[in-house]
Amino acid sequence: MPKLLIVDDEEHIRFLYAEELADEGYEVVTHDSGDQLLEMIEAEKPDLVVLDIKMVDYNGLDLLQDIRNKHYDLPVILCTAYDTFKEDMKSIAADFYVIKSFDLTELKNKIKMALETAMPQ
Amino acid sequence: MPDDHYEENPLNISEAEMVVAIPSYREAELIGYPASQAALGLKQYFGDKKYVLINCDNDSDDGTKEAFFAADTGDVPQIYISTPPGVRGKGNNFRNLFRKVVELGARAVVVVDADLKSITPRWIKHLGEPLFNDFGYVAPLYVRHKYDGTITNSIAYPLTRALYGRRVRQPIGGDFGFSGELARIYLAATSWTEAVSQFGIDIWMTTLAMNNNIPICQAYMGRPKIHKPKDPGSDLGPMFSQVVGTIFDLMVHSTGYWMRVKWSKPTAIYGFGLGEVEMPPPVKVTEDALVAKFHDGLKQYQEVYPLAVSEPLLIKLREISEMPMEHFDFPTQLWAKVLYDYACAYKTQVVEADELLASLIPLYFGKTLSYVRKTASMSVQQAEEFIDNECVVFEETKPYLLERWSA
Repeated sequence: MPKLLIVDDEEHIRFLYAEELADEGYEVVTHDSGDQLLEMIEAEKPDLVVLDIKMVDYNGLDLLQDIRNKHYDLPVILCTAYDTFKEDMKSIAADFYVIKSFDLTELKNKIKMALETAMPQ
Repeated sequence: MPDDHYEENPLNISEAEMVVAIPSYREAELIGYPASQAALGLKQYFGDKKYVLINCDNDSDDGTKEAFFAADTGDVPQIYISTPPGVRGKGNNFRNLFRKVVELGARAVVVVDADLKSITPRWIKHLGEPLFNDFGYVAPLYVRHKYDGTITNSIAYPLTRALYGRRVRQPIGGDFGFSGELARIYLAATSWTEAVSQFGIDIWMTTLAMNNNIPICQAYMGRPKIHKPKDPGSDLGPMFSQVVGTIFDLMVHSTGYWMRVKWSKPTAIYGFGLGEVEMPPPVKVTEDALVAKFHDGLKQYQEVYPLAVSEPLLIKLREISEMPMEHFDFPTQLWAKVLYDYACAYKTQVVEADELLASLIPLYFGKTLSYVRKTASMSVQQAEEFIDNECVVFEETKPYLLERWSA
């Protein structure tokens, strides 16, 4: 079962995502900030990260760069309430982005696509 | 391909860890600037390494060599290498470069275009540093005007992304970095063709890096690429056929790889934090020329199209050619299928390759016209999103290619 890491500083979002994605058959772990995120990834070895862009003390786009530099091929989906972040070219290092919504259909589709992505080794 | 070459190496440099190369043909007027900026970049950012600046030339008769040696490069050693008299081609210059890089034992190579007007020393840093940090190929990432690089936007980027699964936004950007190890792979590759020895070289190098699973990153250059831009409605010259022909050739060569790729992945980005993004200068588009070339070409190659594309596509092409120009639209999915059908026709050689590729040019002009119309009121960033969405359509349509290729 693929393991997803949800990174968001809002507790209700983490709860919602964890519940709904667990219902889809994923193993879900959560983290509430950018603090110790790389260590968390190292320890949990997720198959995919769902990353909030705007957290109180962290910029998700900077965290995305940190993740990319250490974990070249780890799929990352950016989540945000606003789409203005796309003006920042850093966002292109994400596999996908979704606008936050209580309807998780788009997020679920993107997770499926990201996990299906196949690259010959 | 020619194995002989001419070399001037005044300081008898026999080893270097880091090479910056400038390929050229008749660039006496412009080469001095990128040469001096590259030298500054080497000194500022790679001062602890043995380095050399190389001009790989096509025996230019306009004084390119003299201009290169006369450039203000301080104490950075310089080497001039040329193809034999009469041998042209950017790819041939690179072939000489690959040999020299291997001979020098270089770990990292940065290449920049000779007509660059916006290069800064940081470009050398950003294209070179990742090569000392586990990456084997570094492609440039710069803001370009939405109408600059239309072959990249409508063919090279969406096709390579859908085929090989790596999102490299400027696969024929002209400025990039590669490792000494990759230079050896290039030298040993069996897919070298006449088109690769010309303008096919950029897409060939990027594609080989992708399908050899070389770690790739994109280096953010900060400034837009300012060089000699072209109106997308102007004549393409041989570049179009050489680039597209090389993409199709490599599809035949690496079928076993790209058929197993599904969707695509981003690459790491290096070099953010350069402050305010500078906007690129505008590029003029002559819509009337695009309309005329689309319609004239459809007539000229009317006997080729039934051999190149499937019947349903032929019907759709007829439909869009009969649309009033004010409502003209070339749907992205149709364009993706046309390119996929052309790749299959190229493989099966139903039409002689040169004529097949020439017949694609009017359709490309039609697609470009449609893109220009749809993005007319968009900002550079909105046009980027538009292109990204087109790439997703190419990826979604890939099963069509798999079916047609195997038929």
